[in-house]
This record gives sequence, structure tokens and C-alpha cells, in this order.
Amino acid sequence: MRNVAIVGGGITRFGVREVGWKDLVQEAGKAVFDDVSNLDRKDIDSLFVGAAQPERWVYQTHVAPLVAELLGVDVRRVIARTEVACASGQAAIRYAWLSIATGLSDVALVLGVEKMNTKHMNISQTCMVNVGNREFDGVNGFTAPPFFAMVAQRHMHDYGTTKEQMAIVRVKNAKYGVMNPYAQFQKEVTVEKVMGSRMISPPLSLLDCSAMTDGAAALILASEDIARKLTDTPVWIVGGVQVVEHSHTVNQMGDLSEWKALRKAADELYKMTGIEAKDIDIAEVHDCFTISEIIEYEELGFCKKGEGGKFIEEGESYIGGKVAVNPGGGLLANGHPLGATGIRQAWEILMQFRGEVPEGRYVSGARIAIAHNLSGMAQLHHLMAYSVEKPQNLKG
Amino acid sequence: MKKIKLPDLIELPPLLDPWDQQEASGADATGIYEFYRNLAEGDLTTTKCRDCGKIGFPPAIICTNCLSDNLEWVRIPEVGELYAFSEMRLGAPMILDQIAPFIVAIARFGDYPENGVQMSGMIFDSGYDELKIGDRVKWEIIEIKGPAERKRYWYCFKKV
Ligand SMILES: [Zn+2]
Repeated sequence: MRNVAIVGGGITRFGVREVGWKDLVQEAGKAVFDDVSNLDRKDIDSLFVGAAQPERWVYQTHVAPLVAELLGVDVRRVIARTEVACASGQAAIRYAWLSIATGLSDVALVLGVEKMNTKHMNISQTCMVNVGNREFDGVNGFTAPPFFAMVAQRHMHDYGTTKEQMAIVRVKNAKYGVMNPYAQFQKEVTVEKVMGSRMISPPLSLLDCSAMTDGAAALILASEDIARKLTDTPVWIVGGVQVVEHSHTVNQMGDLSEWKALRKAADELYKMTGIEAKDIDIAEVHDCFTISEIIEYEELGFCKKGEGGKFIEEGESYIGGKVAVNPGGGLLANGHPLGATGIRQAWEILMQFRGEVPEGRYVSGARIAIAHNLSGMAQLHHLMAYSVEKPQNLKG
Repeated sequence: MKKIKLPDLIELPPLLDPWDQQEASGADATGIYEFYRNLAEGDLTTTKCRDCGKIGFPPAIICTNCLSDNLEWVRIPEVGELYAFSEMRLGAPMILDQIAPFIVAIARFGDYPENGVQMSGMIFDSGYDELKIGDRVKWEIIEIKGPAERKRYWYCFKKV
């Protein structure tokens, strides 16, 4: 396997954007080419596009060649659109990594995009209800909020987690989001404000939930020799895994408060890379709901099972705590354009390692970061590990 | 200038109707039609493997445990336990927004996971504050009245 690095990134402002899907693609594409200004676009041989449901939200399919046209890119090795719902973006990074690592591709453009806000928001909700098994769970109203509400209810029941502890996750991520000009939400919040926000699906209030968001993000990935020519600050991909255990329908999920597939993914990633939970400086995790981030602390091994609520309460996931979790504001502050989120997470890590974020959300001296995406009803967990060091230098 | 005249109202097939997969034959047929026929006769059933004994849910045409296609239809025990629940208050998908708010629930029937099932279902007859984890619930067959040509059936949960 060849070493693969992220050499540059670009992002659009996330939010309810009064622009179209194709505009978002061009905004993010222009931003990434501006960032890697010494790259000749002719050297890009592959393109991976993360997009979850463009055929439902904007009635457009076959989107990868459309992105190639919109950005003036000619592909000669690999072109694909990746779809695994909420983690479609990270999947695009993964396939670019694989293609370059094997030697098939040398330079790849990776772009994730989603346009989720339309005039018909109940159709958007219908897109989301089809992420579960439509015939047997979607039909019973299993969109994300009621499902993750049940996860929260069980975690409160099984481990004593409180609604206050969940609210602190939003307070933390909103605080960092204010320092991120690309984030959808630009206001700090208090625990009282989160807990007093309108109840969406009890026990989850509006501010416990991430939003339906329009946005795009892009990266350039390259093999080691080319990366060295393009940048002095490459971010190396040091590992990546995905775990699903034939679990899609509610019957296969077992206990909702335990995400065994994430625990297994973390074990696999740590084994693959030689990284331990205590080595991680930055964790970009999938806080689609406040409760998700609490369970992720536990399953990623940052604290003991059941103690995720205490972990945030004691400030351990703030910058300066045991591990800086979502220093860019996470999904809660950035919003969650499905195909773009995984790429936004990698972009945040790139900016952190390059020191190009404001002081208040800068994790000084960070060397190792992980990114966690989950998809659907937490059935599938996706992890990537990034470092300023090459993978060979991390293995003990 | 030449004009293209479209009708004032464009009728689309009910693409977003979640209860569309109940047909016995034709292009919309399903291999688990017996599940729907049993619902119409008042029974909530699923497939059990005659070779390895595993109860599957949702029902399917092969056993996901051993891949055998030697399956039998078994009745899901009528009374189970409420495992988790919430309420769809805001943000219901199209069609379901017509009946919101409703309780969204997960219940366990039989000896889950070894010899039972964990299922999702809606609850209509109890409010959120009237329910608690561990409540005994039973399944009940409901009729879906709507734009389809034939009668359609589904199930919901009800507190015992
Ligand atoms: Zn079997």
C-alpha cells in the first residue's frame, strides 16, 4: 500500500442556502482548487462524489460525471458516486484513499454535497424515513429524531444519563461553531436554552438535534511523492474501517444504548493503526443528536461504558480536556448535509493541523485525529484516522 | 411565442405512500405476500427456519442465519414488552404527517433475541405520559384506508 495524504481542502458555508445543488458543487470545487493553487487540474485522474440522495432532493442522478463537468475535470482512472446515507462523504474519502494506495490513481478530487432544504420539507423527511427499512420500520415513523429519542431514553434508563448532560454537548459544540464562519448556527446557547427548546421527539428537544442543511466540501488526495510536491503540510491517512453486523432493521439492533458495532470499529481501527484512545488529540464525531456524542465517547474508549454523560459534564471533551471532541462545532453547529459531512470532518482536521482556525477553537500541538461517521439508525459505523505523521511512524 | 400547456393539477402515483408493498401479483408483487395475507386474516406472522430454528424478522424468502429456503410461517406472540418509545411531534414524513402526532415504539415479543423478535410499531391509544419502559403491549391489526384499489392491512401496538 502506498501512503496517501490530503493536500488541500475547500468548503462552502453550510446552512439554508438560497443556491442550487450545482452551485454548491462549484463553490466547494473552486475553494479546493484555490487552496491547492499549484495543482494542475489535468493531473487529477480520479473523482469520488459523496452524495446521499440527489435523486430525491434535486431529482438528479448520475451525479459524478456532472460534478466532473461543473469543475472542468477529466477523469481517466476512477469515477464514482458513493452512497451510505449520512456517511456518504467519508465513503468518498475512503475509496479515493484505496484507489491511490493501490496505485490505480495518483491524484483524486473528493467532493461531498447535499441540498436538503426545499419548499417541501415533508418530502425531505420522507427521504430520511427511507434510510431505515422502509417496508418495516420507515412505515412506523422511524425518522432519525424518534429513533435517536429512543436511544436517549434507553441510555437514560440504563445508565442514568440526564437531559442536562445531553444539553451540555450542544453548549460545547455551539461555542466552537461560533468560531467557525462556515457553520450553520452562529449563536452560543445555554443548558437552559437547550432544555427549554421545543420538544421534537421526547426526550429530544430541537437543540438536541442537528439540522437539515445545504452544503458541500472538497478535498484533494494524492500519493506521497505528488503530495510532497504540492504541500509542506500534508495530512496522512493512517487507517480506516467500517463495521456493520447484519444490522439494519430494528430486530437486529439489540440494545439501543450500546453501539457494539462502533466499539468493534474502534478496536479494529486501533489495532490497524497502533493508535490508542488516549493518543487521540482531536475527535470529529457524528453528533447528529446530543445523545450520539455521549455514546461515542464511551464506544470509542474515551471513558467507561455508561459514563459519557459524566465525561461531558466534567469538561473532558472540551479543548484542554482529555480529547478535543468536535472543535469545529460538529454536526450540531455545522448542520448535516449528508454527503458533505464526512468531508467537512476531514477538512476541519486539515485546518486544525495546519493551524488555520481561530485561537478559541485551535487544538494546539495536535498530531493524531479520528473522524467518526455513522449512517442511518446507527447501524453502520465508519472511522478514519489522520495524522501529521506517516502511518509507519505511528506504529509502535 | 409558442406555449406548452400543462394541466393545472398533475396527478402522480402515490410514490410516497409507505404501505405500497402488499401486492400478491404483478409488478408490485412481494415474495413475502403471505405476511400481508396473514395480516388480512388477523394474524401478525413471520418466517421461521425449519433447518436451524431461527425466527427471522422481517420475514424473508431465505433464512439470514443459514441461507435455507425451507421456512415456515409462525405467529408472533400476541403480548410483549415495551422496550422504548418516543412521540412524533414535529417533522413527520409525507403521508404520515396526516396522522401525527403518534407514539413511535419498539417492543419485544417472545424470548428476544434467542427465540423472539424486536419490532417497531406505532401506538395510537395511549399518550406519551401514559407509557413507561416495560409496559405490557399487544399487537393489533389495523386497516389502511386510502388511495389503493384493494384493502390493505398493517399492525400497531396497544398497551394491555
Ligand atoms: Zn436457518
